[in-house]
Amino acid sequence: MTLLRLAFSSLMERKLRSLLTMLGIIIGVASVFAMLAIGNGAKKSILENFDELSTRTVSLRPLWTGRRSSQSRPYRRFDEADLKELAALPDVELVSGTLGREETAVVPGADWATSITGADENHLYTEGMEMAGGRNLTPEDLEFGRTVAVVGSAAASRLFGQSYPVGQTISIRKVPFEVVGLVAEKEGEISWGGDENDFILIPRTTARNRLFGNDWLVRNQIDNIRVVARDQGAVANLQNNIDYLLRRRRGLSAADAPDFAARNFAAMQQSRAESGRIFTVLLASMGVISLVVGGVGVMNIMLVSVTERTREIGLRMSIGARRSDILRQFLVEAVVLCGLGGAIGLAVGYGASQFAEKASVQNGEALFKTVTDVPTALIAFGSAVLIGVVFGYLPARRASRLNPVEALRHE
Amino acid sequence: MIRTADLRKTYTMGGQTIHALDGVSLDIPDGQFVAVIGASGSGKSTLMNMLGGLDSPDSGSVEINGQNIAGLGQKTLARFRNETLGFVFQSFQLMPRQTAVANVALPLSYRRPKPADANERAAAVLGAVGLGDRLTNKPTQLSGGQQQRVAIARALVGDPKLLLADEPTGALDSQTSDDIMELLVRLGREGLTIVLITHDLEVAEYAQRIITMRDGQILEDRMNEKAVAA
Repeated sequence: MTLLRLAFSSLMERKLRSLLTMLGIIIGVASVFAMLAIGNGAKKSILENFDELSTRTVSLRPLWTGRRSSQSRPYRRFDEADLKELAALPDVELVSGTLGREETAVVPGADWATSITGADENHLYTEGMEMAGGRNLTPEDLEFGRTVAVVGSAAASRLFGQSYPVGQTISIRKVPFEVVGLVAEKEGEISWGGDENDFILIPRTTARNRLFGNDWLVRNQIDNIRVVARDQGAVANLQNNIDYLLRRRRGLSAADAPDFAARNFAAMQQSRAESGRIFTVLLASMGVISLVVGGVGVMNIMLVSVTERTREIGLRMSIGARRSDILRQFLVEAVVLCGLGGAIGLAVGYGASQFAEKASVQNGEALFKTVTDVPTALIAFGSAVLIGVVFGYLPARRASRLNPVEALRHE
Repeated sequence: MIRTADLRKTYTMGGQTIHALDGVSLDIPDGQFVAVIGASGSGKSTLMNMLGGLDSPDSGSVEINGQNIAGLGQKTLARFRNETLGFVFQSFQLMPRQTAVANVALPLSYRRPKPADANERAAAVLGAVGLGDRLTNKPTQLSGGQQQRVAIARALVGDPKLLLADEPTGALDSQTSDDIMELLVRLGREGLTIVLITHDLEVAEYAQRIITMRDGQILEDRMNEKAVAA
């Protein structure tokens, strides 16, 4: 306690010098803190944007391969047999296949161009959606090619306004469909430019037979497939199995470029966040460099201070201070200097990260989201204190090793 | 009781060997006021540093109260200085930004266990040296004589057995010097052992015993009849 007071008063005697010395520490701590806050914020927003389901979902779509026509393979769509085999893979909870087009749906007094999706009973689940009323599609709907429809909330309000859609009839390409279900509105998490509640689901088989023309282009074909794994840990293995299965079914060797894409969206985002982390690490290492440079500044000033106060040190030794007392006195002074710098740096870093969050707001959403929590502050502040101990030690040791006779005679 | 036996110390300076102390044997009984005089380079300062445990001899011993301090480690020496010695320097060596009380209490901050009434004791000692009304003044607000009184108070606050004064009047005018010397004489009468280092014969006349040094050896050692009688 006495040591702290002593350190404070000795630093206050040289206010400007102490402040300038602290500057390096302030900048270092501020940038370390701001970078940690922004980095943590980015990590958090990724975790928030992707629910548990999307981390378990592998999305499949066909792909053109080859840049030149001579290398190019035909655009090959998935089919019902693919879907069956995928469903039989280990660790698969369920699969869902869709094919879709933009068509105009007509009801008496209104029409609306919307996404008509040929789907199955699992589709809503893979989208993370739930029924608001009526029933979902059933396997029987697909088996018998029933003309039934399940409407999304946005499409329903366009077509039916306030009235309840279940039981009403929609015409698509002059084919009447009975509305059997209404899907609850899903809060948009990531907006892809369209309203994700604007759709009409019909059985996949009905879509092929009645709407899209059941010719060789369409027969048994599926545009997109989603495979949901039982748990997140199985996704990587599942992705390998899917790749193996599809390559086998398509006659591709392991060396061939695949003509399909299998993506786990959350994993992609995470890897994008990883590359973002390089940016964070870069800035954080700038902070660390600034801390080290600041530490060297502290060491320099402490050495000057020891030289200036040589007589004081000699006197203290002559009245009974031990070497360890002198060592502690100067070490505490360096740590207090860095601790003060760290505290100011925390305030500056907090301000800077808040500013970054506020200044980067676009369309009501901040580009840099920040998370400022106690552990982050402790890391930044602790690194300043550590710098104080490390760089204060040499000057303090030098002070403690002074010869009292010579120190007292020092001019 | 202070006893030194055949103290020797040599320094090498610019390739030359200097015998700072060349066989000094000395007995000082408790309560004696001793002045050590000599020209600069006579070895008197080195002798004081040996007595104060600030410097160690090449050979010989320094016994204070029966304890040979020549071979002690730095921790024990620090404790010895804190509990047994008081130093007074020519240039006062006060902390410029601290009050008189804080300056005087400084040695007690290194005492283990630390006394709880350090400031009260410092104030009392300041009163005893005639500065009872200057407790919260800083050194810059005090005259040279007052500063030296603060320094003496600092030397006395730890209840030392031995006071070592190195040219205590060197930075003071003659009137103030007399005041300081009379203060030291009074402390000597109260039973404190005092070793005063000076090159000023006039100042040395206040002491009961005058030791003259030259080239690291004792040239003359005499009792000062005038001071003993007074």
